[in-house]
Amino acid sequence: MERRTQSRHTGLFLVLCAAMLLLSMVTQQPWAAGARGYAKGAIEPMEAGMMAVAARVGAWTSVLGDISSLRTQNQHLQDENASLRKQIAELSAAGLDNQALRQALDFQRSYGHTMVAAAVVGRGPDSFSLTVAIDRGTADGVRPGMVVASGAGLVGRVREAGPHVSIVQTLADPQSRVSAFLSKSGLQGTVIGGPGSLEMQIDPRFGIAPAVGEWVITNGVGGGYPRGLVVAQVAAVNHNDAATVDEAVLAWVNDTTSLSVVLVITDFTPS
Amino acid sequence: MMRLLGFAAFLAAALLQVTWAPGLAIWGAYPNLVLLMMVVITWRNGARAGMFWACWGGVLLDLTGPGPIGPHALALLAGAYVSGFWTRNVDKGSLSQPVLATAASTVLYSLILIGSDDTLGLPVPPLGLAFQLTFAASIYNAALMLPLLLVLGRAVPLRRQPA
Repeated sequence: MERRTQSRHTGLFLVLCAAMLLLSMVTQQPWAAGARGYAKGAIEPMEAGMMAVAARVGAWTSVLGDISSLRTQNQHLQDENASLRKQIAELSAAGLDNQALRQALDFQRSYGHTMVAAAVVGRGPDSFSLTVAIDRGTADGVRPGMVVASGAGLVGRVREAGPHVSIVQTLADPQSRVSAFLSKSGLQGTVIGGPGSLEMQIDPRFGIAPAVGEWVITNGVGGGYPRGLVVAQVAAVNHNDAATVDEAVLAWVNDTTSLSVVLVITDFTPS
Repeated sequence: MMRLLGFAAFLAAALLQVTWAPGLAIWGAYPNLVLLMMVVITWRNGARAGMFWACWGGVLLDLTGPGPIGPHALALLAGAYVSGFWTRNVDKGSLSQPVLATAASTVLYSLILIGSDDTLGLPVPPLGLAFQLTFAASIYNAALMLPLLLVLGRAVPLRRQPA
């Protein structure tokens, strides 16, 4: 009897597995992209509603948290303030820094890019999907491949676009590659994505060393991203005499867990 | 009526998973509420019910993520099957067994998800990172299982498996 129950369950399991595999293969086809987009769009209003509730609850709990940890935060903010003052002084002193940051922070005006603002309505369903869902789609001019930024800097690229919802692959994806330069030293390199922190492989130049605190800005090389978008800040530099490149650990300017509004650059076509 | 409630509960779990849960990440992993609910149902109502709800929960997760619809359902199905197998062969009254079953289901779910994403050409993390995330997720889910079983277990009526 036990064996019969077991084999019945195994049979059902195999049938359902086959059905799900078939569903995966069918919905993977390009001709099914439209239907898939509509199906994903159907759940978007509920995601948006849940995000709104999450934001309200988050704000409420943060007030309670603020009260309990006010002293610690105050000290932390004072330290941060001192660090920011130092950064401002450094930025004011360096003309290259100033110019690059101004371009990056105000890239829409500098380059005349057209952008669509979108609200983040959801995040990846598992730890492996480093994505965010936004409430703009093909009906708003969003297409797969378009670059996505936030007020702080580069977020990633649109991976899928439905009529009213799109899925953005963020820079936290380990397969992300961005060609960039360092704002102060001008050194060039490639930023490699990662969920914990970004890494940058820096092409060495004689007599110039990368420094902690430098901003990493897209250089437009390769045509994948427009020039002038802030990507991250150098947190640590690992120099190895035997290596052909220097490696830097970067602090990404964005955090997928706190992103709420992003901008999709609609008039830049990645090559 | 119970089935309708089940649909709604899984929908709520999936929505919570893609909106709130990422904010609770530890070592890059965050709780998989749909998987947890699926294990509870499998534990209390058997593999058949677990597999049914795994399909529904998986499809919901697939609708919120990139790529085709099906990989999460497939991965959860495997988790339900393992949990079901576990349920039949251990003492159902034990509280440590569902915790272990959750850890095992999470590992299997993660491996199948990575495998199917790789097969379908979706981005997957490097092997070392994938193992780290899988390990962290299995510990996280297992740790949440016990309180969930105590809370949700009361809401889901226990159904005896055929002997």
